[in-house]
Amino acid sequence: MRRHEPSDIVDAVVIGTGAGGAPIMARLAEAGLSVVALECGRAWDPARDFATDEEAQGKLYWMDERLSAGADPLRFGANNSGIGVGGSTLHYTAYFPRAQADDFRLKSDFGVGADWPVPYAEIEPYYDELEAFLGLSGPQNYPWGAARSYPLPPLPLNGAAQLMQGACARLGIRTSAAPNAAASRPFFQKGYGLRAACSNRGYCQAGCSTGAKASMDVTFIPLALSLGAELRAESFVTRIETNAEGRASGVVYTQNSVERRQRCRAVFLCAGSIETPRLLLLNGLANSSGQVGRNLMAHPGQQVWGRFEQMVRPWKGIPGGLISEDTHRPADADFASGYLLQSIGVMPVTYAGEVARGRGLWGQALLDHMARYNHIAGINILGDCLPSPDNYLELSDELDERGLPKPRIHFSAGENERRMTAHADRLMREIWMEAGARDIWSFARFAHVIGTCRMGERADGAVVNPEGESFDVPGLFIADNSTFPSALGANPSLTIMAFSLRTADRFLNRTRRGET
Amino acid sequence: MIGPDAFPPGGVRALLRTAWVTEPTRLALQARLDRRYEAPRTFDAGAFAALKAICDRLIPQPTPAVDIAGALDERLAEGKRNGWRYDVLPSDAEALRLGLGGIDETAAILFGARFTALPPASQDTVLSAVQAGAPPGTAWATLPAELWFEELLVEAAEIYFAHPLSQEAIGYLGMADAAGWSAIGLDEREAEPRTETGGHATA
Repeated sequence: MRRHEPSDIVDAVVIGTGAGGAPIMARLAEAGLSVVALECGRAWDPARDFATDEEAQGKLYWMDERLSAGADPLRFGANNSGIGVGGSTLHYTAYFPRAQADDFRLKSDFGVGADWPVPYAEIEPYYDELEAFLGLSGPQNYPWGAARSYPLPPLPLNGAAQLMQGACARLGIRTSAAPNAAASRPFFQKGYGLRAACSNRGYCQAGCSTGAKASMDVTFIPLALSLGAELRAESFVTRIETNAEGRASGVVYTQNSVERRQRCRAVFLCAGSIETPRLLLLNGLANSSGQVGRNLMAHPGQQVWGRFEQMVRPWKGIPGGLISEDTHRPADADFASGYLLQSIGVMPVTYAGEVARGRGLWGQALLDHMARYNHIAGINILGDCLPSPDNYLELSDELDERGLPKPRIHFSAGENERRMTAHADRLMREIWMEAGARDIWSFARFAHVIGTCRMGERADGAVVNPEGESFDVPGLFIADNSTFPSALGANPSLTIMAFSLRTADRFLNRTRRGET
Repeated sequence: MIGPDAFPPGGVRALLRTAWVTEPTRLALQARLDRRYEAPRTFDAGAFAALKAICDRLIPQPTPAVDIAGALDERLAEGKRNGWRYDVLPSDAEALRLGLGGIDETAAILFGARFTALPPASQDTVLSAVQAGAPPGTAWATLPAELWFEELLVEAAEIYFAHPLSQEAIGYLGMADAAGWSAIGLDEREAEPRTETGGHATA
């Protein structure tokens, strides 16, 4: 790994090494730029450090306390957060649908939300590139959106996926093996080596120990390092500095309790939709629009669980084996946009926590319910979410262990999210009844926090322009899910990576033209 | 690439000694099996006795194997958090301190005695009143009872089901992680014949 001196003026500092930062590291390094990436978490060796144990793997979550307010307080920690070299991709499900073209024109189609300031056609080539680079597993003829096939065969269906597949077929709902970034065959990853085929250990959401799953630590990051990028782990950024002209010119961070400074020509802020706006608010930076922290969205993620006669063993296989996008724009919808359906497995501690929280079962009733754990299977949705003035992030008066104000996140589902969830809940219960489930119950949840540093055309209504650059601070780019103008009816990682590569390419074009 | 289909004789303790289990998993689970908690570090004796009595009702254990109250006390003593908190609740430690006081207050109003002095049925009545969100008692005027109960219940359930013996009891075999799984569909069984110890050499 190339090492730079703090006094060097490097071409780029990347803050955060998840789905936003890692692709940028690799793209800029490939072009010969000097790149330093700062990651607040540790670098892990999955084979040595990752246990098949939910509690032990709590180390992959951002555990600094966040304050959850509003009518539907968001639960962070084991969901909606991540830390470590690779960021949240260390524990993402790697469920990899594309956004569809109409996701980018919600305002035009429904008169609500926002249109994206970037044409979908400009993003599609990045989807193609990423699916090939990451070695996605999936079907030969994907039924929804642009015609496409995936480079590796689909992963095998587990019990929950089989149950959903059979019931949906009888109900006339199309399903498909889901696009997934775990390799179904050994896959040669440029810059890393051979990624093993998925062993169906089912632990995607708590850390893949074999390299089968395309998290950033086995894909873009090793590629970036092989191309000369420098990675500094356990480096917590506290300040983005600007020069006399107001351009981003350096980053101050704490490593081993020592405050350090890295000078640079450009900063790529990729800390996710909580820590990115939090840092900007702490610094009083890039917020002339007043939009930093606003437009916070979260995907409706309603789950419906049922108990089956058959042995399901919900801990085997990738958690989300099957997908349906037939509900992307439901004909009978009384709401804007739509959602996708996925089958879900679940690990025992997570499920016990949901049963306790969602059903309020305790005592012998809880133990009796959990005794049938091996017969449980679930379906859940991932639905679009509209921005609302009620939903935002702010800094609280309470300080965390670092001495920084804890973020307070306000979230209340709006009418659109409530109607969508009700529609989905009816449909999922119908599917599970058709599949023969008993004791069907629903768990209300929201997954993926999105928005908070919106991308847009105008400086008075957005934080960054369509290039991903701050309207206020030239040389400061944001590339993560905070810039999404709308939530999309699709899991965000693929689109985060696509926009990161695009932001990197636009930056490189400018650099090549000699512009600043 | 085939894992075991059932626990060997001797259960999860025996399984952890086989090659079915990777070293990181073995270390994590063995440490939890061996863990014993000494005197409480964050609660005084009275509060800890109340917490323990509550946990015994939330998760009744015929043969006590998992020290839920001890694990909770340990977490608070170490200052560990789970990444978020309801904005309407005070810090975890403060919420527990206030809520345990509230439990005794409600017990006194309903039954004229401290929670720990009540028979199990009366304890359950107190806990149900708290879970329902409007228990009698001044402590609950500022502490949202329903959320307080939910948070304590979820943590108790998660501590309990993180324990290898609890996982064995519900037939979760995922800790046998060395080989992966091939029989992942409905009613499928891993085909590899088991040895007497369950630890097949191919693992």
